[in-house]
Amino acid sequence: MKNFFIILAMKILNIALKILGKQGGNFLGKIAFDWNSQIFRYFKINCPIIAVTATNGKTMTNNAIGYVFETAGKKVISNKEGNNMETGILSTLLKHCSLTGKIKADYLVFEVDEGYVPVVFKDLKLDTLIVLDFFRDQLDRNGEVETLILKINEFLKTFNGNLILNSDDPNVSRLGKANPDNENIYYFSVEPYQYATKNMKEAGEGKFCPFCNTRLEYEYYQYSHIGKFECPNCHYGNNEIYKLATNIDLKNRCFEVNGIKYTTKFNSIYNIYNFVAVISCASLYNIDTKIIQKALSNFVLNNGRLEELEIKGIPTIINLAKNPTGSNVSLRILNEDDDEKELLFVLNDNLADGHDVSWIWDIDFSSLNNVSRIITSGTRAYDIAIRIKTSGFDAKKIEPYLNLHEAVKHLYKTDIKKYVIANYTSLQPTRTEILKLK
Amino acid sequence: MKELKILYLYPDILELYGDFGNIQILKYRLEKRGIKAIIEQYSIGDNTPNFNNYDLVFAGGGADQEQGILADDLIKYKDNIKDAINNGVFFLLICGAYQLFGKYYKSADGNIVPGLEVFDYYTEAINDRKKRCIGNIIIETSLNGKTSKIIGFENHGGQTFNISNPFGKVLFGNGNKFGDTEEGYFQKNVIATYLHGPLLSKNPELTDYIIKHCLDRKYDEDITLEPLDDTFEELCRNQLLNKFLNNN
Repeated sequence: MKNFFIILAMKILNIALKILGKQGGNFLGKIAFDWNSQIFRYFKINCPIIAVTATNGKTMTNNAIGYVFETAGKKVISNKEGNNMETGILSTLLKHCSLTGKIKADYLVFEVDEGYVPVVFKDLKLDTLIVLDFFRDQLDRNGEVETLILKINEFLKTFNGNLILNSDDPNVSRLGKANPDNENIYYFSVEPYQYATKNMKEAGEGKFCPFCNTRLEYEYYQYSHIGKFECPNCHYGNNEIYKLATNIDLKNRCFEVNGIKYTTKFNSIYNIYNFVAVISCASLYNIDTKIIQKALSNFVLNNGRLEELEIKGIPTIINLAKNPTGSNVSLRILNEDDDEKELLFVLNDNLADGHDVSWIWDIDFSSLNNVSRIITSGTRAYDIAIRIKTSGFDAKKIEPYLNLHEAVKHLYKTDIKKYVIANYTSLQPTRTEILKLK
Repeated sequence: MKELKILYLYPDILELYGDFGNIQILKYRLEKRGIKAIIEQYSIGDNTPNFNNYDLVFAGGGADQEQGILADDLIKYKDNIKDAINNGVFFLLICGAYQLFGKYYKSADGNIVPGLEVFDYYTEAINDRKKRCIGNIIIETSLNGKTSKIIGFENHGGQTFNISNPFGKVLFGNGNKFGDTEEGYFQKNVIATYLHGPLLSKNPELTDYIIKHCLDRKYDEDITLEPLDDTFEELCRNQLLNKFLNNN
């Protein structure tokens, strides 16, 4: 009975929030979870639950999977806005369930914070888990990457559902060995793209074999530590690949899987990985290839994740980057574009960003291609200005402004193409400030 | 052309908190003054280095698991390292490297990782794995008789004891232990500290202290370094000192 009343109360609260014009976010889930932490058990779910976890790419992949299923005519419930801790997922369920806890959908698709996978799926039956990547991220909040991986590994020891893993990340691929009895492991991989390298170019993890501590050998690196690797001692990494992306053509924004061409709206190598994960997942649920093709060709995400805008006629690309790898892949996209451009880098050090900004020194600013001016902003505008100056970029062409409004105003003094990189809490304020000029 | 030779230890392992930035900053401030920076690296499997051949040796912090792998390797060079320190080679040691140069590191489960025993201090992890000294930190030190505030970021579970001469007095943050008044270890040619940031990024005076020490020793002089444009560094220092010391 208790759960019935919790749900009833949350439904009323949700209506009240709507009247007040508030989104709710994690709020409903937080109250319900504090009331009864076992509430996840109360939901009656008769459809597959699919979850995506990673350091980078969760929101993009989660939304793309939802979009593919919806294009196939399925009813999907998902935490599209990215509220990915137990309270956020609970909020999503509370909004969509009946008073008896019934949820009517064809698929539940969630992005889940790396640290919360074991918590959320203790009482919810997970059908498919997709793991994209693990990078260093807010070490002062999350601790070392290894701690997170071990948590998920522990959870997977008793998991028998589908496990879709990035074969090209040694820290993800190892999860395929967590439960030797699980026969539902599906690895995806991507052939080297135009800018793949023989040596690691940017900061990365997982240099040693997690099973025998031997230094891993790489055939190629795509970005950071993502690439085709193998342990020379125990041959860890030599996986049978379920879906392999080939003929990567970022300029024309397309690639192939099993000889079928997919065109997308995105031009970054990391999105190829995200989309191969999406294709792997959709294939497991027998979604028609033509529908996947159609969905991916239309899919966009207008929330500052590689968002392309025109502001006063000036092409502007905004991308979230909350850790070194996120920033390095953003700079890869910038460097792969030969046009003249100006960069705005916004760096905050609020609680949700992590107070430690040392990670900006893992960003590779050394070979910026045709960047004529850089503006920095955010609570740590000066830190990032020092970082960029030290990499050799002319200090006279760097303008730091603590005030974001000032920064954006000065950015649009010229009509040169803009690239905007913003970290977690600075992304939406930056986006809002830029959209004011539209 | 003058030059300084820098040895960067385990760049592929001790690189968790952007500590590589310290090398970039040294290089930047040397080259701006027309001094050549020769940077050589050493990691597991490379040819044995002679520490006496360098003016400056740098090592940073790493992940716990990987740090264990390299402790066994580093200990092979114990005598050579001691000799180089006695000869005045400058050692800049951050976080994990700071701990490794002491007597030992005792982990939360009681496991003892022997250190190089170059210095008398030792480090013990707190039993509660989740408890760490994490946050912005400001200390005050004296560089060639001049008082200087040093800004950085600390993130360590280990508590370091038995420090004969600390790097600085804590004005904000923890230091060698939870709520300590002292931070790091300091002697003329050694700075061992928990400060990331990277350390040298917001402390140009400290960087120049290290550079001057190395040049004076190598060229037997008392150099006055040419001033550089530190506008961004000064803006950054003012902002952060104000924020953390005056709560503005």
